[in-house]
Amino acid sequence: MTVFHFFNCAILTFGPHAVYYSATPLSEYDTIGTSVKAAIVYLGTTLVKLICLATFLKVPENDSFDPYQELLKALIGFIDVAGLYFALTQLIHRNISQNHKFQAVGLGWAFADSVLHRLAPLWVGARGLEFTWEYIFQGIEANANLVLNLSLAALGSLMWLRKNKPKTLIPIIYACAGVLATMPSITSYLRRALGWHPPKVVAFELASSLVMAFISWQLFAACQRPSI
Amino acid sequence: MAGRWRGGGGGGEVVGSIYSVLALVLILVACVELGDAATAVDVYRLIQYDLSGAPYGSRLAGLNHHAGAAPFAPGADLSRTVVILPVRELNLTFLQEYITSKQPLGGLLFLLPQDIRHKSAGGNKSRNVGLLRSILSELEQLLIHVNLPYPVYFAYEDDKINAVLADVRRGDATGQPATATTGGYKLVVSTPEPRKASSPTITNIQGWLPGLVGDGTTQLPTIAVVASYDTFGAAPALSVGSDSNGSGVVALLEIARLFSRLYSSPKTRGRYNLLFGLTSGGPYNYNGTMKWLRSFDQRLRESIEYAVCLNSVGSWNNELWLHVSKPPENVYIKQVYESFSEVANELGVTVGIKHKKINISNPRVAWEHEQFSRVRVTAVTLSELSVAPELLQSTGGLYDTRHIVDETAIHRSIKLVAESLARHIYGCEGKNIQIFADNSSLAVNPSYVKSWLDLLSRTPRVAPFLSKNDPIISALKKELSDHTDEVHLQHESIDGMFSFYDSTQATLNIYQVASVTFDLLLLLALGSYLILLFSFLVITTRGLDDLINMFRRPPSRKAKAA
Repeated sequence: MTVFHFFNCAILTFGPHAVYYSATPLSEYDTIGTSVKAAIVYLGTTLVKLICLATFLKVPENDSFDPYQELLKALIGFIDVAGLYFALTQLIHRNISQNHKFQAVGLGWAFADSVLHRLAPLWVGARGLEFTWEYIFQGIEANANLVLNLSLAALGSLMWLRKNKPKTLIPIIYACAGVLATMPSITSYLRRALGWHPPKVVAFELASSLVMAFISWQLFAACQRPSI
Repeated sequence: MAGRWRGGGGGGEVVGSIYSVLALVLILVACVELGDAATAVDVYRLIQYDLSGAPYGSRLAGLNHHAGAAPFAPGADLSRTVVILPVRELNLTFLQEYITSKQPLGGLLFLLPQDIRHKSAGGNKSRNVGLLRSILSELEQLLIHVNLPYPVYFAYEDDKINAVLADVRRGDATGQPATATTGGYKLVVSTPEPRKASSPTITNIQGWLPGLVGDGTTQLPTIAVVASYDTFGAAPALSVGSDSNGSGVVALLEIARLFSRLYSSPKTRGRYNLLFGLTSGGPYNYNGTMKWLRSFDQRLRESIEYAVCLNSVGSWNNELWLHVSKPPENVYIKQVYESFSEVANELGVTVGIKHKKINISNPRVAWEHEQFSRVRVTAVTLSELSVAPELLQSTGGLYDTRHIVDETAIHRSIKLVAESLARHIYGCEGKNIQIFADNSSLAVNPSYVKSWLDLLSRTPRVAPFLSKNDPIISALKKELSDHTDEVHLQHESIDGMFSFYDSTQATLNIYQVASVTFDLLLLLALGSYLILLFSFLVITTRGLDDLINMFRRPPSRKAKAA
């Protein structure tokens, strides 16, 4: 029953994206075009990142944590942020509210991320006879990733699209955005240097994504209120 | 509108080609092998052969069943289970009952201990070693004489497979044998079905060392030294036959080397020709030896004064046996026996004589010398075995590996044979001369013996699976040609009584599979998670009313929207 397992893991990995789209008002305002454009921008960003990684990074001999390499990877990770900036500000969206814009962009971004990073391993690996927990963890990671991307898109729209922000909140916004952008480096540090097992890493990702989502939600709500 | 359609038509071609590429990619991707297993183990199949049309051995090669381990509940249905049996704790009576009652079984996997592969250092395990030897020989004799309509494999124990076995035992202890609904381990061997080996060949290698032809053209007499080099065992890929008859082959090669040194200079060349024969087809009533002898022309056959056949001379302490078919009072036999005893006394060992009459009507040939006797050539067999082995017994089985051979025993056998042959050739019986003395240039070379013994102990040599130009045959031929003048290969086919099937080795994949219940539970959990997520999102973004309205679908809604 291995195709069954593949089906299970696939709905765990990609289901939430579809559910998010249909459950929230995004589907009523037909923002699928925005999501598709965001996905294409993500594809372009990933290609640029790949070229940079191939040019600047050395192939590691062993699987240990090399701080210099990880720093370089984090810097290249900021290209992600640049891509998100491009998707949020430069693309032409039909007149949808800012609220929905960042959700649609975040959703498209996260969906493209899941498909590109997780579909191929799932197809090749989950159909075998051998049973591992690996793909279920991967699905949970995809869920956490969705939440993270939505938070990052929200903070991005706050940073670049909203002009009148309360002065006191600006550094917090930038700090949270920084944390979100470097989240991949943090998880790889946990996995390699501290040697955490997959369940622990996935739990950390889930917890941190929920926490960051809550913080971003509060920041967003705070910026909605007219500054007195 | 029309413009759009025309653009769409051109785009249709592109879309069509995209679809075909996509379909191709999907097909390629679907052909990806099922993912790699947790464990992959080398396994060796039980031999499959027909004897006069009656099938024996394991008749199937492909395996795809769940694993199970003893003890089983009585009456358990094992027809879709592969039973893993470690040989160390084997209960032979249970196995015998199971086999003779012809109960269906998914497959058998025997786990052999690593001790028989590597030389065990201590002699303190001798009791275990003796017990293991008897278990293995009994198991072998049981398996090769029955017809098993399911795959039977042998594997060496290692950590991975021991872990799997422990897991299976734990799972079975809860009372549920592993099936598709309960999960467990699945053993998969994917090989094509075995086919009959078409016209298997046996190859005899002979080397001729001519003696010194003096004045006069009288034919020189010949002495022959013969050993059969092929083996037969329950697992043909593991039948290295170090003692039976690797020790005989090594002894023959060393004797050839020593005599080639003696014969290299005309001053020391004897007035006897020496004929060295490495024959094949030993386990099958010495079929190859018979065909080899039939190929001789009559003059050569009549010139053979006597032949010494070597069979298993690698693990004896101080007693060897000389087996003869002519009565011991026969003049020639007496001569040979006395020359052997004389040298044996000097070496401090004893040689006994055993007489077994030949029954011409019985096709069973227990010793190689009997083939010589059937064509009226005097011959003896020198062996550590005191009793004639039955058909397919003592032919190099599971237990017969490098660690049961004692090199010093081979050295003593070489000295015994070489010295008694040389004294007969040079006519110095009774005189106190040692030709192959230790520390002389004609001493037995221990490293030569060791290296050839190690090589033979790594090479399985079951004749039907050796092709005409197999590397071991070429190696033996080259070695004999280094020591003798003329080397001939003779290719024959095994007599019609035996036919063999291929597929002797395969890779076993062990997968840990989850039960169907687990998959269903997971589906249920995921479904409820997605529904919860959906409800949560609807409630937080649109409000609870929207959620309830979604399920009510009052017809008035449509009128409202319009």
